[in-house]
Amino acid sequence: MLLCVEVAFPSTSAQDDKGKSMLWEEMLDSLDAVSPLIDDVRPGLAFLDMHGMANDANAWMAQTRAVLDHFGCALRLGVGFNKIAARAVAHVADGTICESGAESKLLAPLPLTLLDVDPATIERLRLLGIERLGELARLPHGPFVRRFGAASAGWHELARGIDRRPFIPRGHAVAIEASIFGEGRAADEVQVFFALRMLLARICSDLDCCGKRAGALHLAVELEDADTCSFDVPLATPTAQERTMFDMLRAKLEGARFVAPIVGLRLQALQLEEGGEDQALLSADDFDPQRVAVTIARLEAVLGEGVARATTRDAHLLEERFTYEPFMCRRTRGMPPSLNSQVRASNELVPQLRLHKVREVSVQLRGGEPAAVDRQAVRQCVGPWRIAERYTEKPVEGRDEYDVVLEDGTFARIYRQGSRWYLRGVYE
Amino acid sequence: MAAALAAVSQQEDTRKSEFELLKARLSATGQNPVLPLEGVVATTIPELDSLLGGGLPNGVVATLEGATGRWSLAAGLVAGMTRRSLVAILDDGTLYPPALADAGVCLERVLVVPARTALAIVRAVDLLLRSRICRLVLMPALALRDAVWARLAKLAHRSGVLLIVVAERAGASLSAAAGVRLHCVLERIFVRGTHGLWGSFAGFELCIDVRKHKRMSPGRTAHVRVGNAALR
Repeated sequence: MLLCVEVAFPSTSAQDDKGKSMLWEEMLDSLDAVSPLIDDVRPGLAFLDMHGMANDANAWMAQTRAVLDHFGCALRLGVGFNKIAARAVAHVADGTICESGAESKLLAPLPLTLLDVDPATIERLRLLGIERLGELARLPHGPFVRRFGAASAGWHELARGIDRRPFIPRGHAVAIEASIFGEGRAADEVQVFFALRMLLARICSDLDCCGKRAGALHLAVELEDADTCSFDVPLATPTAQERTMFDMLRAKLEGARFVAPIVGLRLQALQLEEGGEDQALLSADDFDPQRVAVTIARLEAVLGEGVARATTRDAHLLEERFTYEPFMCRRTRGMPPSLNSQVRASNELVPQLRLHKVREVSVQLRGGEPAAVDRQAVRQCVGPWRIAERYTEKPVEGRDEYDVVLEDGTFARIYRQGSRWYLRGVYE
Repeated sequence: MAAALAAVSQQEDTRKSEFELLKARLSATGQNPVLPLEGVVATTIPELDSLLGGGLPNGVVATLEGATGRWSLAAGLVAGMTRRSLVAILDDGTLYPPALADAGVCLERVLVVPARTALAIVRAVDLLLRSRICRLVLMPALALRDAVWARLAKLAHRSGVLLIVVAERAGASLSAAAGVRLHCVLERIFVRGTHGLWGSFAGFELCIDVRKHKRMSPGRTAHVRVGNAALR
């Protein structure tokens, strides 16, 4: 027997997806008291496996209501022998039970939306005059499947009360963390690293027991002056290796300065994943993501700024044609996918513009074209190219860009904005 | 008799001119064909590879000098290297990534390390060389003490990482520490169409001169064409 739990979230929380999913997770945790096996279909819909549970269906539903009462959400409950029957009975009347063999009769007057089919398909069926599950069930199976594809075989069976969808129990969240408090204070980094090693040993032992790997670590450092410093340490690839985690944490802490002695540490393993780690068989030309991640953490600690990866985008202004994002190391075999489209057809060199700090320059014109820039005669000049950003909130004056070669061999990009001239960059 | 003397004199002239030609060829030692070297990293720029006997030696400090074209050459090297491994570029704020992408650089494999001061740049290069995560580290030129350049050169040698310094003109300290020095000179500029609004620069030709090479004699030159597409 399956117990269907359908929850209507209050309108305030429905607007906030994150808040809704957090509330739903709390509700599922509470439902563990009713049954240990819960199939979490989506936020607001779950099925509980009640096989072998004590008491009858009415008692189960009463217990469910009692468990979820303090959340203040409207509930619809139903019990059936499969998912479609349990959901249908909850849809028809809250708190009812569908007896075995009565599924098709129960489903016949119900709308197609109960099948969780996309709206376009429901519209197609409606145009064919099929609006109820009973009408769908009466269609000949073969022609219907040939017309609507392989997935429609499942809809046809569901409409007749046959549900072959598997029951997938939800995994239980595992919290892996370790902390150390009230054992004196640390004013020396060696003491902190020693304590971190202890915590990591516990964390890695727990990860091994659960057969999991951590994709990130969260370290909270409590100081004597009641202040707390937090560090999020992403790991390049999920791991359960103490050494790798320690290297990352140490690199991250290298640039940290604490204003008071440390009195407590709390370390938490996040982004837990199942299974082992990918290892390169022949890694001569491949890089180790963990080593890269440790180096990046060290660079960030030394420089105080993040190591970045550049991405290009379409824009009119030169300085808006690229953005930087944090460098995340991903293991790639051979040529990365995005490289395939970028590889040059030949080994051709391309002029490289360097964006120097924009400065005003004096330009003399002859026939409307630059003839001298900062008293250097212009040997060759091409342009102008008019660049105007018309659709910005703040209107920006358009500019005319020129490429010029000066007498001393400097090859530069200059532009005129209004009556003034500026040097944008130099081809070096 | 006169005809015979004339024939002998002509033969003598021919021999002399051939001898002069041979002398000229032998005196131009820099242009002798180079035997392929071992332990080099191919630059994937054919003219440069043939100039350097297969590529740049592993684990050296190499300088790219000259007013124009040095960064074009550097971008070509980075493009070739990103096909195989990670590359780090020390950015003093003047980097223009779209031009690198146009040169065939896989930006996903380029670590852009923001470093504005000399101290920050040196510390970052030190870390990158020691970590050996990149095969090539590209940095702008700085005025550093001899000892610092010597240390970086030693680190590059020990880690097998190619450290490329891009400078308009290398100072005495850098010149001493560098294993290879290449100097670019702008020879001519190609313009597509007419000048002004209806024209565009199609690129330029560089003359690359080997000013120093720790494993071959300097003085060799090569001509490289930069750019084909319009510079917009």
